[in-house]
Amino acid sequence: MADILDINNLSKRYGSIQAVDRLTIRVEQGSIYGLLGPNGSGKTTTLGMVLDVIRPSGGSFSWFGQPVSRDTKRRIGALLETPNFYPYLTAQKNLRIVADIKGVGDSQIGHVLQLVGLSQRRHTTFKGYSLGMKQRLAIAAALLNDPEVLVLDEPTNGLDPEGIAEVRELILKIAAEGKTILLASHLLDEVEKVCTHVAVLQRGELRAEGPVSTILSAKDQVIIGAPGTARLLEVVQQLPFVATHHTERDLVHLTLQDGYSSMDVNRAMFEAGIVLSQLTVRRKSLEAQFLEIIKQQA
Amino acid sequence: MNLLRIELHKILPYRTVWVILAIYAALLLLILYASSKVTINGSELGEKMYDLPAFWLRLTYIASFFNLLFGILIIVLVSDEYSFRTLRQQVIDGLSRAELVLAKFYVVLALGVLGTVFLLLLGLYFGLLHSTDHSLSAIFGHIDALSYYFVQAVGYMTLAMLFGFLIKKSGLAIIAFMAYAKIVEPLLHFRLPDAVDKYMPMKVLGSLTPMPGQQMLDQLTTPTELLSPAWATLPAIGYITLFCLLSYYTLKLRDL
Repeated sequence: MADILDINNLSKRYGSIQAVDRLTIRVEQGSIYGLLGPNGSGKTTTLGMVLDVIRPSGGSFSWFGQPVSRDTKRRIGALLETPNFYPYLTAQKNLRIVADIKGVGDSQIGHVLQLVGLSQRRHTTFKGYSLGMKQRLAIAAALLNDPEVLVLDEPTNGLDPEGIAEVRELILKIAAEGKTILLASHLLDEVEKVCTHVAVLQRGELRAEGPVSTILSAKDQVIIGAPGTARLLEVVQQLPFVATHHTERDLVHLTLQDGYSSMDVNRAMFEAGIVLSQLTVRRKSLEAQFLEIIKQQA
Repeated sequence: MNLLRIELHKILPYRTVWVILAIYAALLLLILYASSKVTINGSELGEKMYDLPAFWLRLTYIASFFNLLFGILIIVLVSDEYSFRTLRQQVIDGLSRAELVLAKFYVVLALGVLGTVFLLLLGLYFGLLHSTDHSLSAIFGHIDALSYYFVQAVGYMTLAMLFGFLIKKSGLAIIAFMAYAKIVEPLLHFRLPDAVDKYMPMKVLGSLTPMPGQQMLDQLTTPTELLSPAWATLPAIGYITLFCLLSYYTLKLRDL
């Protein structure tokens, strides 16, 4: 499939701080691409650079195979960090300015306001909006030119649970129309629920990249216990399908290689003459995995 | 022209703009009324003050002091774009940095036109009401003063625009702008010979609307060397271009 965004060795340095360090990623058409990382990991800086508002210190990027220009911008809708509008203007008038800049007709304004559920409040000034409404207005502005790509930076920041669910639903609805979405978030759960691909950033460096299902696949953990932990460990060490193991108090935690399950463990133990007093399967939390990815190379 | 339309969408509903314009109009009217009551050598200046065509020169000279207000207005408009982060959003949405500067320069031109038309109306109103000579040659005798005033107002505002883009914060930018225009450059004028400082920006802009009766003053004291308004136009336009370019490079070299 065609590349929407191609980032090549992109770097940004602020004085002594390396905000983004030789980042290379590719966003394919039709994907929902998540940039995942803790606060300060370089997500916004990266988006700022590809959106032409932050000057890169090194590296390059291209949209649709071209350098950034008015034409490429026409095909992108983006919100970066905060909703940016004139506080003294109404939603309608703010969007008219955006429409003029993007070169689209005023007829779209009503449509996008409807889409984000702000039609009733179109004549309220921006400063009178709640945080959630501001965020929705920013999404409306991003959608105004019916873009092929939507770039969203922490789109659910500051929203209440209902608002978060609404925005996620909206993102999935937009993605279902075949649009590509680039989404930055520090919320693992959000990326897992919404994205198809993910890049994990930490202190400006790429830690992992790939389809969400492989990067954030929750591998099961098997916890076993039996009288006589020493003998149990001896057997565990000989089992070929155990990927890793460690002991916590008198329980042994195992992760298994692909294609094996707790049943195989139980059978092997029984064959070795050990009767397990405990056998628990625990889905590893995404948070734990995320921390693991980040720890691996730190 | 699309850029100007976008700017008007922003400005027209903005109350701060109207307040500053109202202050400008009110102060100018007040000065015009009050200055006719000035007494020189025991006799009131009175109606003679409004005599056309000399009134055009007086009017533009008086109005030149209020260019600072226009400058402050421009600084407010530019620094707002930073604090609302709309400068950044407009680049994301498709404008180039050159267009950002151009859009503000259009506002500068529009305000310059507005100020000049206002002076034209004031001049005609006071002039025709009070002066005895209503011949065309009297009315339009020194009307070119208005065009010099226009260049001057645009010059002041372009410098203010540069300070706005450079400093970002409205308060600091206003202080820096006033300090440069009224303190720093005048101090430099003391140090430098007239032959040099007559080409400095504030002096060039100032010479576009010379003080009426300057010649008389020069006879009493040592004459100050100034460019004539016509000669000052060229360097003034040069400075306007320079300030626009510097504004552009400020944006180009900076993260928004």
